[in-house]
Formats: sequence, C-alpha cells, structure tokens
Amino acid sequence: MEGTTEEEHKEKLLWNVKREVKQIMEEAVTKKFVHEDSSHIIALCTAIEACLGHLLKRRAAGFLRSDKIAALFNKVGKVYDIAGEVCRKVQEQLQQQADLTRRTQSVGHEPLRRQGSSITSRPPQPLSAQAIKHIWVRTALFEKVLDKIVQYIVDNSSKYYEREALMHDSVFGPILAALLVGPCALEYTKLKTSDHFWTDPSANELVQRHRIHGAHRGQDTTAGRRPALGIRKRQSSGSMSEDRFAASAREYVESLHQNSRTHLLYGKNNVLVQPKKDMEVLRGYLSLHQAGDNLTLKWTPNQLINGTLGDCDLEKSIYWDYALTVPLRQIVCIHCHQRPDCGGTLVLVSQDGIQRPPLHFPPGGHLLAFLSCLETGLLPRGQLEPPLWSQKGKGKVFPKLRKRSSTARLIDQDRNSDEQIAADYVFRIVYPGYRYDAITINYHHTTGSRAPSLDDDEEEEDRLHAMISMICSRNLTDPNVMKDHGEMMEMQGFGGSPSSWQQAEVTTHESLCLSCSTAGSNVSFDYPAGCTCIHDPSDIHTIPLKMLCQNMKRQIVSRAFYGWLAYCRHLSTVRTHLSALVNHNIVPPDKPCEASGGLSKEVWSKYQKDCKNYKELELLRLVYYGGVQHDIRKEVWPFLLGHYKFGMGKKDMSQIDAKISERYQQVMREWKACEVIVKQREKEMHSAIFAKLSSGSSIDSHVLRLVHRDSTLSNEVFMSVDEPDAGSQETPSGEDSTPTMTTLVPPAALPQEERSLVEFDSPDSGLPSSRNYSVTSAHSQILSSIDDGQSTEEEGGCGEEARTPSALGGCQDSLTEDRLCSQLDKLVTNGAATEGMSPSLSSYTIELLDTVALNLHRIDKDVQRCDRNYYYFTTANLEKLRNIMCSYVWEHLEMGYVQGMCDLLAPLMVILDDESLAYSCFTQLMKRMSQNFPNGGAMDTHFANMRSLIQILDSELFELMQQNGDYTHFYFCYRWFLLDFKRELLYEDVFAVWEVIWVAPRISSQHFVLFLALALVTVYREIIMDNNMDFTDIIKFFNEMAERHDVQHILKIARELVHKVQSLMDNK
Amino acid sequence: MAGGSVSECKEYLFKVLVIGELGVGKTSIIKRYVHQLFSQHYRATIGVDFALKVINWDSKTLVRLQLWDIAGQERFGNMTRVYYKEAVGAFVVFDVTRGSTFEAVSKWKHDLDSKVKLANGNPIPSVLLANKCDQKKESSNNTALMDNFCKETGFLGWFETSAKDNINVDEAARFLVENILANDKGLPYEESNGDRIKLDQDTVAAEIKSGCC
Repeated sequence: MEGTTEEEHKEKLLWNVKREVKQIMEEAVTKKFVHEDSSHIIALCTAIEACLGHLLKRRAAGFLRSDKIAALFNKVGKVYDIAGEVCRKVQEQLQQQADLTRRTQSVGHEPLRRQGSSITSRPPQPLSAQAIKHIWVRTALFEKVLDKIVQYIVDNSSKYYEREALMHDSVFGPILAALLVGPCALEYTKLKTSDHFWTDPSANELVQRHRIHGAHRGQDTTAGRRPALGIRKRQSSGSMSEDRFAASAREYVESLHQNSRTHLLYGKNNVLVQPKKDMEVLRGYLSLHQAGDNLTLKWTPNQLINGTLGDCDLEKSIYWDYALTVPLRQIVCIHCHQRPDCGGTLVLVSQDGIQRPPLHFPPGGHLLAFLSCLETGLLPRGQLEPPLWSQKGKGKVFPKLRKRSSTARLIDQDRNSDEQIAADYVFRIVYPGYRYDAITINYHHTTGSRAPSLDDDEEEEDRLHAMISMICSRNLTDPNVMKDHGEMMEMQGFGGSPSSWQQAEVTTHESLCLSCSTAGSNVSFDYPAGCTCIHDPSDIHTIPLKMLCQNMKRQIVSRAFYGWLAYCRHLSTVRTHLSALVNHNIVPPDKPCEASGGLSKEVWSKYQKDCKNYKELELLRLVYYGGVQHDIRKEVWPFLLGHYKFGMGKKDMSQIDAKISERYQQVMREWKACEVIVKQREKEMHSAIFAKLSSGSSIDSHVLRLVHRDSTLSNEVFMSVDEPDAGSQETPSGEDSTPTMTTLVPPAALPQEERSLVEFDSPDSGLPSSRNYSVTSAHSQILSSIDDGQSTEEEGGCGEEARTPSALGGCQDSLTEDRLCSQLDKLVTNGAATEGMSPSLSSYTIELLDTVALNLHRIDKDVQRCDRNYYYFTTANLEKLRNIMCSYVWEHLEMGYVQGMCDLLAPLMVILDDESLAYSCFTQLMKRMSQNFPNGGAMDTHFANMRSLIQILDSELFELMQQNGDYTHFYFCYRWFLLDFKRELLYEDVFAVWEVIWVAPRISSQHFVLFLALALVTVYREIIMDNNMDFTDIIKFFNEMAERHDVQHILKIARELVHKVQSLMDNK
Repeated sequence: MAGGSVSECKEYLFKVLVIGELGVGKTSIIKRYVHQLFSQHYRATIGVDFALKVINWDSKTLVRLQLWDIAGQERFGNMTRVYYKEAVGAFVVFDVTRGSTFEAVSKWKHDLDSKVKLANGNPIPSVLLANKCDQKKESSNNTALMDNFCKETGFLGWFETSAKDNINVDEAARFLVENILANDKGLPYEESNGDRIKLDQDTVAAEIKSGCC
C-alpha cells in the first residue's frame, strides 16, 4: 500500500515538473524569449528541486546544511566539471548580492527601482528573494546545463539517493532529465522589453496563445457549447482564421514534430481532406500527439508545412483556416470506411455530434496503422470499442464482427463476402471509469450493410449517427440539457423520462448494439423500417431487444420533438426581443447580381450617366456587401450621408452645394464674431488679474479663495468669490493699478465687481463649469504666470503687444505657429474695432459667452491632438477641422462639444477634403450619432440591445459575463458605439465599416452597429471564454486589440449575424 | 523544504485611477510613468485606457499598478461608477496653466469619494497632481496653501509634475503606493486581502507547491 502512494508521490512530483516545463515552453513560443524574472521559472525551479530533494541521502544532503540543493550541487560539482562551473557562478552571484546589500544599506534604503534605469545599470542587479532561494537550479538553467547535471545525477544516483528515490528510479529519473532538455535550449533574458508586463499577458499574447493551442480548445468550447437557436457555429469558430497577425505560425508547424512537450505517436503525409464542400481536396500531414493524458489529432495542409511560403505569407495563409486540431477527448466515435481500391476514410464525431471533415488515407493499410497507434495512445485510460484484433503475424487487424442482416437486399452481398473483412466500422472511444460510460450505446456499424453507397448516403448516415450520439451524449453528459429535457418530458407526462431511459440502459449492461441502416432516409427520425438492431455475439441477453429498440426510438423521437418545441418557444422570445433590430425583408448578396465586388468606379459612372433610372437600393446593396471603391468615395459619400439625394441632377447638386456653402460661411461669421469677444473677455480677465496681482493681493488670497470655495462645494461658493475681489479692490495699490488697465483696454471699463456679479447671477446653463468660466480663466494666471503679470506691471503701461502672447499662452498651451498667427490677426482686427466692442458685447448674453468659451476651449484641446499621426492632419487641415467643429457646435450649443466628435469628423475630412461639404456631411452624420452622446439616450439603448442579443444568441458567454462581476452593462462597447468603431480600426477600415453602417438601414438593419459589436465579441469569443475575462480584462483586451482587427472578416460575420437573425424572424 | 526562513515574495495588484479635466495630461503622465515616453500626439481618451506598471517595491514585494486612464469628460457620464469600482488609489490631475482644471479638482474628488470607498469605508487614498509645471514660469510660494487645500479636500498630498520633463511623476506614484501599501498592511490580513484585487495566482501556486514536499 505504501509502495503505491510512494509511487504516486513520485508521479506527482514529475507531473509538476512537466506542467511547469510546458508553461515555460509556451511562454517561450508566445514571447520568443523567457524573462529571467518570469514567475514560471520560479515555479519550475520549485518543482525540479522537489524532485531533486526526494529521498536524497543524508550524506549527500549534508548533515548540517539547511539547503539540500546547495549541498547536492557542491557534491556533484566536485566530480563533474559542468556542475562545478555552475557552483562557481552561484558563489559569484551570492558574493555580488552580499556586496550589493551592504552597499544599499550604507547608501540608504532605496526600494523603488525604476524600470527604466535598471536597463542602464547593468549587473549586478539585486535578485529577488525567490531567485536567491532557487539560485542553484536557476543558474544551472540559465547556463543551459541543468539537463546535463540532472542526467549526471541520474546516472550516478546510487551515490546520492536512497533506493526508492525518484532520481534513482529507472524510469522517472531519465524522464526528468529528458524533460529539462527543452527549457535548457531556451533563451533567457534580463532585458525589460516594451512589454515587460510578463505577468499579465497582453492581448497580442492572448491571441497568439489561443492560436497555438486554442484551436483545439476552441473546438472544445464549441463542443460544450449550447447551440444558439439554430444559429450554428461556423466551422472555423475561434480557430486560426481571425488572428492572422500572430507570428507563431512557424512554431505551430514546429510543434507538429516530436518535442519535449508532446510525443508524436503517429504521422502520415498526404492524407487528404476536403475542408469545405465546394473546395478542392487538400493534401496534408496527419499527426497524433500525446501530451500528458491528452491525445490530439492534427492535420496540417502541406501548404503550411513544406516551407514554400515565407514566414509572412505563412502567417496570413488561408490554409490556417483548414488546419484541424482535434483533441480526442471530445471524440466519441470514429467511422471508418474502407474501399480496397482507394484506401480508407475516417470520420471523427465529437460528443455534440459535430463531424470533422473526413480524412482520406492513402491505400496500403495506413488507416489500420493509424487506428492501432490510436488504440495504443488511448491506453491506459481509454480504449477503442470494439477493440482491434491481434492476429498472429499480421499485428493488429480490424475486428471481425459477424453481421446479422435482416434486410433482404443485403443477402447477395452477404453471400459473396461471408468472411470478407467488413468495409465500414464505427469505433467508439470509451474511457472506462468515466461517468457517462456507465451508460453506453453502441452503434456498431458493421460491414457493407449498404450497397456500395454514394458519397451522399455515406455522409447522410454519418450525420445521422452524429445526431444520435449527440442526443445521447448530451443527455448523459450535460446536466443542464438533461434537466431541460427532463422537465419538459415529465411535464408532458411522457413515458421516457431520463431516469427510465437510464434504467433501460443499465439493464442492458452496457452492451446494447444498435445498427441503423438508413440508406435513403433523411435525417428525420422516422426510420423504423431501415433500422436494424444487432447485438454482439458475446452479449446475448434475455431482454427482448426489439422492445428496447422500440423504446429507444420512441425516446429519441420524443427528445427531438421536445427539442423542437423548446426551440419554437425560444424563437417566439427572440421574435419579440429582436424583431425590431433587423429589417424583415432579406436583401440577398447575389441577386440580381453578385454584390461582393462593391460599388466600383464603373458602376458609379454608369449611374451618373443615367441617374434617373438607376435603382438607389441596388447601389446601396452593392455598398453593403462590397463597399465603395476608394477613388469614388469622395463622390459617393455625400449621397450615402444624405447631403445629396440619389437621382439628383447636376444642377440640383450644385444648388445644394451653394446653399450649404452659404450657410456654412454664415455660421462661420457668426461664431468667429463671438469668438473675438470671448477672447477679448478672457484677455480682460487676465488684465484684471494682473491688476490685482500687482496690487499686492498676493497669490495667497486667490488660493485661499479656492480653498474656501472648494471646501464648501455649494452654491454659496459663488457668493464667496466676490469677497476676495472686493478685498483686493480695497487695497490702495489695487486702486492704483486698475485704472491703468482700464485705460489700456477699453472694455474693461466695466467695473470689475459689477461684471462678476452679473455673471454669477446668470442662471446655470447646465454645463457644470460654464458659470465659473470667467473666474476660472483668471485662476489660470495665478498658477502659471504670476511673474508675467508682475513684470508687465513693473514696466508700467506696457503695450498690448507685450501682453498678448502671454495672455494667449495662458489659455492655449501648445499653440502651433499658424494658430498663433491667426489669433494675432484676430486680435489685431479686434484692436482696430475696439470702439465697436462694447455694443457687440452686449449683444451676447454672458451665459452664451461662457458656453462658447468653454466649448471653444474643449474643441481646441481635441483638435490639436486629433490623429496627429495620420498624414492628413497637418496644421492647415486641423484648422479646417476646427472651423467645421466650431460651426457645428455653434449651431448645437445646447449639446455643446463632447469628446469624440472630432473623431467622427476626421474621417469625413480625410475623404471629402472640402470644408463646407464635410460640414454638411458631418451635420448629417451627427443626426444619428449625436444620440449616442450623453444628452441622447441611444447609448443605453445600444447596451440594452447588446444585452438581449448576447443573452439570446450566446447564453454561455452571457453567463460568463454575469459571473465575472457582471459586466452585462456592456460598457466595454462604449467607445465602439460612440464613434462607430472609429477608434477600433485603421483609417482605411473605418471607411469600409462606416459605409456599410450608413447603408445598412436600407438593406438589413437600422442597428447594424450592434451586429458589428456582436461580430467583434464573436471573433474573440473563445479567448474571452478561455481566459475567463472580467470587465477589466475585456475592456483592456479590446483596447489593446484596437486597429488590429481583420475588418473584412468582422464585416462578414456581422452581415451573417444580421442574416441569421433575419432568418429567425422569417422562420414563422 | 529548505529556506523556509526566506519569506515569500508578495505580489500586489492595485487598481489606480487617473482622473481630471480633459487635456490636463492624464494620458501623458501615465505614458511617462509606464513607458518613459512623452509625445504631443496622444489622442483624446474616449472611455477608458489602461496601462500596467510593475514596481519591484523591495526584495519581498512586487507591486503591479493597473492605471485606469479615464476620459476627461467622463465625469458627466454615469460610467465612472463602474470605472471606479475596486480602485484602491487615485491621482487627480489638473493643469497649472489652466485654472478651470483646478476648479474641477474638487468636483472630481467629490465624484470619486461618492462612488468608491475602501473596504473599511474610508475614501481611497488620492494624490493631487499639478501637471505641466514645466510651462509655469516660476515656482510660486503657494506650497502652504496647496497643502492646506489638500488637507481640506482630503488629498494625501500634491505634487507639481511634468510629464514632458519627467518631473515628480515617479515620486508621486511612489508616494501613493506607499499609502496604499500602508492601508493594506494596516488592516488585518483577511480584510486587506479584500482590498487587493487579485493575489497573483503564481505566487499562491508556488506557496502551495512548496508546502507539498
């Protein structure tokens, strides 16, 4: 008994090492290097030390030494040179560390090391406590000799270890040494790279990791996934297709070879697979890998392997979509079809009934060879059912099952092939001891119980099998589904409740064989005529099988029925929730002609020649399915946005242009006039401050005032503002200076106190800080250019020119030269029209001036930093952007400028490159988009709709979102909706997506953005699920993924999603 | 296992908010702090952005700061409540060249305190950053007053910073982290565990593992 636990313990120790080695190798693959501080290294060291320390002889461990590993290394080092070298290096490091500690202690405690400086200050660097603790193994690892040392110790284990030690074990010891070969071949680095957050995988890394081994994990989740209302998962879900950026394609291919993580059990080239129905058959490399207990079947198209593609092409290759990675855990049965002339075909069917594309083996017994490898690989936990037979001299052979055919048409085949090897088999993969195995259903599909069938039939049949096994395994393995069905059945008083179903099964002692010959029948369940039940000769039972079969059939049919009923019910829910989200008439992509080519120049010129007769909807359909050719975007966009109407003549168009242009000029004049006054006012305020400052009312009083105001946080705040003002006026020097300023700047002639009173009496505009504007602009000077004010004052009645730059500098921190010039120009004209100033000031309310000032300021802030990395946004074009933005905001002051508007205008500017046209189009665009900004309610509607959509279409993901801190508020989509995905995509992609969004209301859905959002979530669904993301993770993930999406793929999925919801609606 | 006396390396993950009016330089401060970079060309933040800074605090402590860069205009939205959730520290930033942004400081602080609290009910530690001090012509003698303002408004302290010239950014962060750690340690272990968002999985795993042999 003790022996076995000891054995288990050893196994566990080794298992820990295995796992850590795997982690390190994964990290190496995803990052190209492993950082020395990586927590995986510490973990690996810990695991290795546990093995090394296992039953170490006391003599070797050192009687007095507390560090067994150090003792062991030193002992080995005396006789083994490589280990001796490691010992020397370790001693060196320890010495350095000691020096370092002494030094830091003398200098003073300086715990915070800057990441940046640590690059420059080369070694010695302080090691972490963990690193010191494991310094022996760690050093040996970094020196890439750990495997050799371990091998040496294993070879001489009797010297150091007790008899029962892991290292002394003839199997475990060498395995440990072998395991370490991989990690010892890696590069370790101390360098902090730009992504030195090695403990927090970046989005990029997540995508890469997902791609490398997520392919099977992806299918894993697909397998376990609840089907969403007949919306079947695409074949490539979560597989290689979406993340072509990752640079690990090469590693994937390399992973196909034998390596330290996985054992290659079987490999065969030129196995044929037809990934898609209408595709040519591809040749590829089929391999079976074992990693721990897991067997994985991979099939990689030759195109990816044979190195004809460069690294870059390799990553982008379409063939990634076709590569298969199938964890055998998911596979419940394997269908084999053999034809003497053309090798064999193998179809894998997973628990949920999903069939993998058939694998065609070349002739020559390869199918059998594969099966026998597989059978061996499954051991000891799993096995093939029925097992392959061993035959003397021949090795493994297909089992010979006697067929008992009850259908007449088989007779002649039976006659001439009585002892012939069966052509078709269904093997189950069983894991004795697993829960669901207590109930087994065998579909031994033996023999040529079918006529040399057409491929269609074969497929049909496989599908049926898949379906049956799905129904069964689902009910047996998925408690949720079982519950659902169970409840429903009980409710209906139907005979076949799950318990009776199970009972029936158990009584057959897991040996019920069912063979269904269904040639010609379709996938519906009414096939009793074609269904024959055979049982293995070895399992003859007294229970009348016919009855059992009847029972089963009934249950299968009832399950199917109730499944359908549930589906119908769910559909009605969907209809009520989602029907408003899509248009009910489906506009097809291929009628009257294929639209994926988009709106080309050619088509557009045809339209222009004959615009009266051209169908608007047809043009929109082209845009929806294929976008607009870039060259004609400038012409087409004004139509799409509603600036022009389709069918308009040239004359009408120019008329509209003229009208808009006139209006735009008018608006420009209006706000520019107002801007002049706003600037003037700001200047006055500054002047007033200078005055006060010079008056000796020091900064203190102002800050005091702020302190006072901020601490009260109430409306009284505004009363208290006046007090210091008054106070400063009272000081004699203040009186001296104020008049000086007034003479310089006429508008300031308005008594200081009076003006501020007027201001503060003005009703709250609703904009939180507008009413403080004048005061606040004053403070800016307090904090920034006090000395300016003072020096100006000292110089006496200095000219306006002297002060202007500093005043401007106060409100506009990073002015470009051009802007500065234009500002100066304005001020000059302003100065010239000084006399006219007072009346114009009175024509605007103070409140309006405050609002405008606030908005201008915000606009300036955002315009200055609008996509400066994009070539288009030169200073001149930013000025245009500002003009348009100010014009729009001037007309919509009640809404004001909200951050994000610049982002919406920028792409329009880039395409249209015309101020008044962009202004008009932006105004049109904002009719919809403004609803997303805080004043409108569209954002909340979007969130609510997303909630419904995900809840209905992907309840599993929805549950994850709820569990991880409930982020079903969908705030992580905020930026997507606010800016129509502008920040998520590159400019070129923004154009493509926006066009589709604009035309979608006429073609498919008014809420196309929802489906785009849904497509984004869908594309990364597996990564979200695998990493169990919470709100922070997901928002971080999508932020990092910004501008890295495959936009055509996402558009395609979005269109598909719309179509699917439309079909659900349609399906009455 | 040997070396039991060497105490385990503790890893902390702290969520720290960076808030303040639009255009005061929140993103710049974060980029400076995390990437040692400065650019005039950062775009306006929409919604929220993230950055992570790893600090080897001392030989036994590793601190990961998850910096939440919240858009300047978000105070008007109701999403800040979600953004603030589980934060354990905050920087409130204003622009010394624009007084209005200083005005807004107390509003942000108020917003913050009303929406997020430490497990013990105290407001989360926050530090005031007077950014763009490189554009200020001369350092003024308002230290005492600012200190007073901080005291009244509930800031731990304030720093004049410049993301452009890399002034005081590291110092301010260190000051805040010191306070967060003090908060963390001041509480009984179980409770402080709640403050920390996640204890690093690897550390936990390593501890468990070392226990098995």
